[in-house]
Amino acid sequence: MATAPNNRFNQDERRRNADHVSFLKHKKFRWLWIAVLLCMASIAGYALIDQEPRPNGGSWYGYTLGTIGLMLIVWLSLLGIRKRKMTAGQWSLKAWTSAHVYLGLALIVVGTLHTGFQVGWNVHTLAYFLMLTVIISGIYGVIVYAALPSTLSSNRNELTRAQMLEALTALDRQLESAAQPLDRQQSDLVISALGQDVFYGGLFARLAGAYPRCATNRALKSLPETSGQTDDPEERVRALLTKRSDQLGQIRRHLRIRAMLEIWLFVHIPATIALLAALLAHVVSVFFYW
Amino acid sequence: MAFLIRTIDFTAAGREIIRDRTVDQSEISIGRASENDIALPDLAVEQRHVRISDAGTGKLAIESVGGLGFGINGRTEMRAEIDPNVGTELSLGSSRLAISRDGDGPVQIVIKQVEKDEGAGDAIQGFALASTLPSKRLMAWGLAAAIIILLLSVPIITHLTRTPVENDPENLAAGQVRFDSTWSTGDLSMAHHDLEDNCEACHATPFVSVQDETCLTCHEELGDHAEMPRLAEGMAPFGTGDAIQWQIAETLGKEGPLGCVSCHSEHEGAVELKAASEQFCSDCHNGLDTRLTNVSFGNAADFGKKHPEFRPQFYAAHFDTELTRVSFDDSPVEQSGLIFPHDIHMDANSGVARMAISLGKYGAPLECSNCHEEEEDGYGFAPVEMESACESCHSLVFDRNGPNFRSLRHGDVDDLMADLASMDRGPRSAVVSGRGRPGQFARGGRYYSNFGRPMSAYIAINRALEPTGVCGECHIPTSTNGRRNLTPVNLPDRFLMRGHFTHEAHGDDVAECTDCHTADTSGEATDLLIPDLDSCRDCHQGETATKTEEITPSSCAMCHGYHTPTMPWRPDDHPNLPGNGGNDSVAAILGSLRR
Repeated sequence: MATAPNNRFNQDERRRNADHVSFLKHKKFRWLWIAVLLCMASIAGYALIDQEPRPNGGSWYGYTLGTIGLMLIVWLSLLGIRKRKMTAGQWSLKAWTSAHVYLGLALIVVGTLHTGFQVGWNVHTLAYFLMLTVIISGIYGVIVYAALPSTLSSNRNELTRAQMLEALTALDRQLESAAQPLDRQQSDLVISALGQDVFYGGLFARLAGAYPRCATNRALKSLPETSGQTDDPEERVRALLTKRSDQLGQIRRHLRIRAMLEIWLFVHIPATIALLAALLAHVVSVFFYW
Repeated sequence: MAFLIRTIDFTAAGREIIRDRTVDQSEISIGRASENDIALPDLAVEQRHVRISDAGTGKLAIESVGGLGFGINGRTEMRAEIDPNVGTELSLGSSRLAISRDGDGPVQIVIKQVEKDEGAGDAIQGFALASTLPSKRLMAWGLAAAIIILLLSVPIITHLTRTPVENDPENLAAGQVRFDSTWSTGDLSMAHHDLEDNCEACHATPFVSVQDETCLTCHEELGDHAEMPRLAEGMAPFGTGDAIQWQIAETLGKEGPLGCVSCHSEHEGAVELKAASEQFCSDCHNGLDTRLTNVSFGNAADFGKKHPEFRPQFYAAHFDTELTRVSFDDSPVEQSGLIFPHDIHMDANSGVARMAISLGKYGAPLECSNCHEEEEDGYGFAPVEMESACESCHSLVFDRNGPNFRSLRHGDVDDLMADLASMDRGPRSAVVSGRGRPGQFARGGRYYSNFGRPMSAYIAINRALEPTGVCGECHIPTSTNGRRNLTPVNLPDRFLMRGHFTHEAHGDDVAECTDCHTADTSGEATDLLIPDLDSCRDCHQGETATKTEEITPSSCAMCHGYHTPTMPWRPDDHPNLPGNGGNDSVAAILGSLRR
């Protein structure tokens, strides 16, 4: 069979593609081109139609763009369901994700043209801005997914999350015994440092990496200046607290990168569901008050 | 070198058991085998796992012997060097060996057992951002619910449960539907601004587009452009996109391209209602004759390039009671029943001018305004009154009565006859004061009276009504039932009825009267002095023309109105005009179709 090796090659090539090509470059940017075509067609149509008195979502072209936009939004939001059912082949999850990203970007053009550049304090503009929020958070997501994982990996320094916590626990145990000779005031500092939750701090502390009320750092600052003697208990506590602070620093850098990696989903997903609700209100209201 | 090895165990009751022993040797070994210095009975630990030795300068070297690494400060290493004065924790299996030293004392190794993975799984969850934020699901449902309740359900429910109110333009009710202003796609036009918070005034029925009927509850007096079937027939065919949209829209209950809202689109911002563009008119009127074969007017698309010649209406024959519309192309001749050469009256060198100069009333050659008086509304001119405009020169004095002159009454031949018949039959001397004898009863005498037939009066009447008589100067004599009479004066108030024109806008700074009305060269009253299309085009070109000092781009709406196509001059108190009846309006037709 002359064709057998050829088939085998194709099959392997397909598998290799599926394995190693980024979803952004999937099938030589197939979906990027489709999205670009969709945008250019939409813009050309918009430019060619002379809508009186001003461009409007209620013209026939406006309805066309609106319908395309609505179907795109519904389909794009189905990724959440689709990704839980991985399959290979024509509609592999990678193809689906590739299309999700590029068609989602094209939606900026389709949606904006559908508005006719009319915005106001109403449910229609609400839907538009929710859509933009979803898309912009998605763009952010793609960028951080490309840029941050290597930072996350290098910050790990070959430690797992559990090991980071374990290291901290080890330091805590040593601190506990090292601090035994300290006086009341200094013991309190150590107690508050040990008692503070590793994950203390809210969203903004995580994103900014700023923990102004970190008890460990406060204890470090409040301990007397270094005496230089290695057998001084205060000096040992100080050394351990410095280690603890360093370990916390690594954990917090990890938290910061994780937060930057994950924050977009906390915008992307709720805004998507809110967008679907706003779209329902948008479409129903337009035809209710037709 | 001495090592103090302290083992801490717990009894089943939780009590701590502490065992201390001191090993004095340079290095110690740790492993599962019992021959080790520290034996850890834990399968996760190698038989001989780690060796701790002095590394000089107070430091300790920890190295793996068995090939497996050991945990130190959370990290797995094969070899490490530590400062026991700072302390460190060595982790082997489930044992934690805290290594420390106080000054020059022995190296202390405290061995403790930890429970495996003490809540580690839960603790790791803390790394996820989800631990500091409400769940995505909660946020999603919260936002979606808020939107659906506030922006969708509240307006719908309040709309369905309201009590509909009849619209009254004089006294607009406040809107009853809550939060529906969030549905507004844009501000209403200025004229409808008061309805901004009363959406249901127009959007009366859910899922039914704004109906003409609703518009007409306020705009009841509007006329139609033409009858509905003719409008539909005359419309230009749609483009594909528009055709599909209308097909869908009409299936869903829109009133079609001839409904009010198809032209008067609202929510386009707080703008004034703008006149339609030229395109709007030319869509139908350019090539209208191909769709409507029985229209009386020509196609129009652009005033400068494609507009039919004007067809003024006037009286085309004496005694006509109906006006006739004739195109300027057909050399119209007006039969007003008057004889009046404009040119003689306007010539600054003619006898007329000399006469006018000699009269105190004028003092200069005649101007148009001496006879034609502009009306206050600025649109047209008042009818010329003979008494004020002509009589200064064309005197009707026929008799002298003492110091007074008697003038013939103007306007009615019967009055003329009566006046002339009353003319004194014989001249007499003035009644003087003082005593005197009556004198002879004879012509010229003080008491003389002519009791004979009034021959002189009849002669005077006949003479007056002759072409050369006093009436015949301006009027065309005729006879009615054998009696002398004059042809009635037939002048329309307005000649161009289909277009809107104001003289005020064409005042002195724009044009002289004679620029448009060629009165100065007109020798006959039969000349129709209304300007034709070409003379308007001297200044007015179509909408797309470039504006210059002379040229004014002029769209259709400058002269024509859509809702008053045939009657731009319709007076306000005269609503019953053709095409404006109670039951042929767009809404009425559609309403009857639906019923």
